This record gives sequence, structure tokens and C-alpha cells, in this order.
Amino acid sequence: MAQNINPHYASSSNPAKQNEDTIKLKDNHAVSKRLQKELMELMRCADKGISAFPESENLFKWIGTINGPQETVYAGHKYKLSLEFPNSYPYAPPMVKFITPCFHPNVDTCGLICLDILKDKWTALYDVRTVLLSIQSLLAEPNTHSPLNQQASYLWPNQPAYKKYVDEFYNKHRDS
Amino acid sequence: MSSTEPSQNKTWELSLYELHRTPQEVITDATEIAVSPRSLHSELMCPICLDMLKKTMTTKECLHRFCNDCIITALRSGNKECPTCRKKLVSKRSLRPDPNFDLLISKIYPSRDEYEAHQERLLTKLSMSHSQASLVNSITEGIKLQSQNRPQRSRKNHEDNSNTSNSNGNNTENAQNGSTGTVPAAPKDGTSTTGIPTPSGQSTSNPASVRSTPSPVPSNISSVSKNTSTTKRAKSILTSERSEESESSDGRTEGENSMDTEGEGEPLNPNEIELVFKPHPTEMTGDNQLMRALRDSSVRYLKTTANASVDHLSKYLAMRLTLDLDAELPEAYRLLNFCIYVAPAPGQFVPLAGSQTLRQINDKFWKVNKPLEMYYSWKKT
Repeated sequence: MAQNINPHYASSSNPAKQNEDTIKLKDNHAVSKRLQKELMELMRCADKGISAFPESENLFKWIGTINGPQETVYAGHKYKLSLEFPNSYPYAPPMVKFITPCFHPNVDTCGLICLDILKDKWTALYDVRTVLLSIQSLLAEPNTHSPLNQQASYLWPNQPAYKKYVDEFYNKHRDS
Repeated sequence: MSSTEPSQNKTWELSLYELHRTPQEVITDATEIAVSPRSLHSELMCPICLDMLKKTMTTKECLHRFCNDCIITALRSGNKECPTCRKKLVSKRSLRPDPNFDLLISKIYPSRDEYEAHQERLLTKLSMSHSQASLVNSITEGIKLQSQNRPQRSRKNHEDNSNTSNSNGNNTENAQNGSTGTVPAAPKDGTSTTGIPTPSGQSTSNPASVRSTPSPVPSNISSVSKNTSTTKRAKSILTSERSEESESSDGRTEGENSMDTEGEGEPLNPNEIELVFKPHPTEMTGDNQLMRALRDSSVRYLKTTANASVDHLSKYLAMRLTLDLDAELPEAYRLLNFCIYVAPAPGQFVPLAGSQTLRQINDKFWKVNKPLEMYYSWKKT
């Protein structure tokens, strides 16, 4: 079974349309309930260096920020990300993308992130907080063996040059 | 038996730890253990839905707990492993129900169903008020009300034009009217939760939201305070029927129900408006449950700032009446929702839009020489 399909939908392909709708409603309700709890928890004890909040009144789309980890080439940078939650959340991962362009071996030019826990290694126990923390640590420790951004991957071993490039890149793009 | 007794050829020496340790107290039914609510919550919480565990299932190998529904859905949708520790979970058979844990939860939270129903109500209310549909609804309602009010506004403008040749006092009043027409509505949630602000000195001693015995004139709200200001406009807002008689004698005005002594001598701020709340004569009749509960305290006197909106007033009413009635009111009537009307002529009731401020209403509808009168009706929504 495809991972991104809510099993409720898959199993309820036969029953009447109305029945499907009520299931969908009930699911949405459970998802927003969980997202609300996550938000409450995030507001209660904010982690250093990450934050997240729903973009508008729609609880299924959040904007997160990550501060570049200290003592890395990303120190001092601040990256904005978008998180979109499927109706099957938390059984399926959120769609996470960099809004602020990020020069990184595992981030492509559209902001898409290559991270196992956002794909096949996702479990329902991950939440907004752990996702953002994981991405923050991915910034510090890229996987240069399966890069999305070849240039960044080649440059990574040369940290001073990388630092210089990534600073210029960040300053050029942070407002776009 | 033999294993518990030291054998002859062995010397049993206690280690340092064993010498110092004290035996653990036996846990009996009467034992009391202090647990912080937070750690208790994390123990009883399902890590998937973040709610309290419901029909607890425990993984047989790694002993992690989940709600039945949550873990079944997780196993169906993703990897066949424990969501907490990634230990392989082949199927449902790798789980066992944990009725003892369910019992424990029901012992700690006997009123759980009640609590959940309450949370449910709150959430649905929240999502309802946030939904797009209700926004569209309120906008169309607002447009409808505005179009209803438009004929009156043009009539008023006409009056204003004919009055321009009048005295200075009237001129300033007109100017005021003109400017208030464009004043944006007061912020929606500024005062709504704390109730209608009462005049400075009084509000600290007895805030509007504090419960007091129901009386026609709540002690914290001065119905009509003595007017020492001399501007004609302020007087026109202030003076009541009876005070008209005394006005000629000493130039000071006093309201018909002036029971408030704290407000004595305090000048009435022109930014404050006094008003009387009466039940809607046809919609709030004697057989209405709310009216029965209110009995003789159905008429309310109130002084508040002129930039308070109708929304503020209806929220205040809901809070105030709920507090006053408290025990007498059945649960279903707890969240009262009011529609507020003004009667520019006897028998004619104009519903007011939530965003209108008191100043706008006063200027638009109230030309009579007494405190602004408003009518409230309880909306069954």
C-alpha cells in the first residue's frame, strides 16, 4: 500500500459517498486535534533555534523557521520553511520545503529536502518539533553521498570556501 | 528453600551499597505517591494522537503503549515497526490489549468522558467560528444591515443639513457626527473578554466581570452620574426624564435610578455613553426561559466608553447574565447569544450590526433627551 494514502480512504472505496465524507470529516477532526496539541506544546516550551506557527487559520499549513546551527557554515542564518500536513497525518509525513533558498547538498533548487524521516523512515511519533530539529541537524551534517545539489556536495569538504559561498548565497536570496 | 539459606562453605558479605540501602516501602492500596501532572500526562498519553490512551494496546516485545485505533492505523499505513522504537511488529499479533492500564486511567480520571465531551464542544465551536462559511455569513449579514440602515442615514444627513444654521452647539454636534461616520470599528477582542470597561475609579473596586448579586442597578455600573460638565452635548446624552425638571433649578442633572454614590461629583466624560438595556418586548416574553430566570433583573443600566461596539455589548450581556444567574440557568443556556436592537420610534426595532460603535448608534438613532435605550433578544443558535 502506498504510504501517503490514508488507509481509511483506501478501505472505504466501496461504501456510499456520504459514508466516505463522514470518515473524511472525522479524520480531519482528529488531525486538527493533534496539530492543535502540537501547537500548544510548541508554544509552551519553545526550543532554541526553531519555531513554527500555522500560516493562517488553516491548521494544515504551517510556517517554520530554523536558525542555522552554531559552529557550522550556516551559523547566523535563518531559514523559513513551509509544512503542509496531509489528511493522513501523523501516519504520513508532512510536506516540508525550504521557502528561504538554501544552499545545501540535500536541498534542491526548489527547496525540496532529501531526508529519510520525511519519506520512508517516517513514524507517527515524529512531529513538527522533531522534523524541524532533524532538518536543523541535517544542515550541520549533510549526506554528501546522495546529493540533490551536486555543487554543494562537491564544495562541502572545503569548508572555508563553502562558508564564503553559502554566506553570499544567503545574503543574495534571503529576501526572495 | 535451600537457596535462600546461606550455604555453610560460603561467606556472605554485604557490599557497601547493600549496607547502606534501605528497603523499599511496600506499595499497598493505602500508599500515596506524589506524581506531577505533567509526568502523569506523558505516562498516560498516546504518542500518536497525543490524547489520553483509549483501549490501550501494548507491544509485546518492546512494551510501548498506544491507542488501539492509532497503532492499527499506523501499522496499516506505514512500516511494520514500533512507532516509538522501530522494533519489528509483524502484525496485530505483536500487540496485546492492556485492560489494566485502561482501568488505571479510568481510576485516575473517572470523569474522562465528560472532559472529552467538553473538549469536543470547544473544538467544534472553535472550528465553526473559524470556518469560511461563517465568515461569509457574517459579511452578508453585515451588508444587509447596512443597507437597512442606509435610508435612515440619508434622512439624518438631511436633518443635519437643515440644522446647520442653528446654534454653535449643534454645529459641533454635526461635525462630530460627520467624523464618527468614518471612525473604524473598535478592535474586536480588546475589551470583549474583560467585559465592558467601567469608568476609571470604579472599575478597580468592582470589575464588571466579577459576580455580584443581581439587582436592577449593579453597583459597579453607575446608571447616571452627576454631570458637572457644562457642554450642551454632554448634557443631551446625560439628561433623563426626571432630571429635566431639576435641570432648570441647579443646572445639574441626576438620573432616575441614581443609586451610585461612588460616582458622585465625577464629571461625565463625553467619550462615555449611558444606556439602558431592556428585554425585547415581543421576542423576550414572560414564557421565555431566560426571562423567567431573570425575573425583575431583566433591565440593565450601563455606562461605558463610546467606542465599545455592539459585539462588546452582547458579549458583556452574555457574560453578565450568565454570572448573575449561574445556578438557575440550565447548562444548555450557558452560552448566551444576544441580538441587540434600538427603537428609534415606539414599536420599531432596528437590529444593530456587531461592528457598530455606541457613538455611531447614539448619533444615528438617539435624538431623544434621555439615556440611550437598547433592547436585547436571546438568539437560539
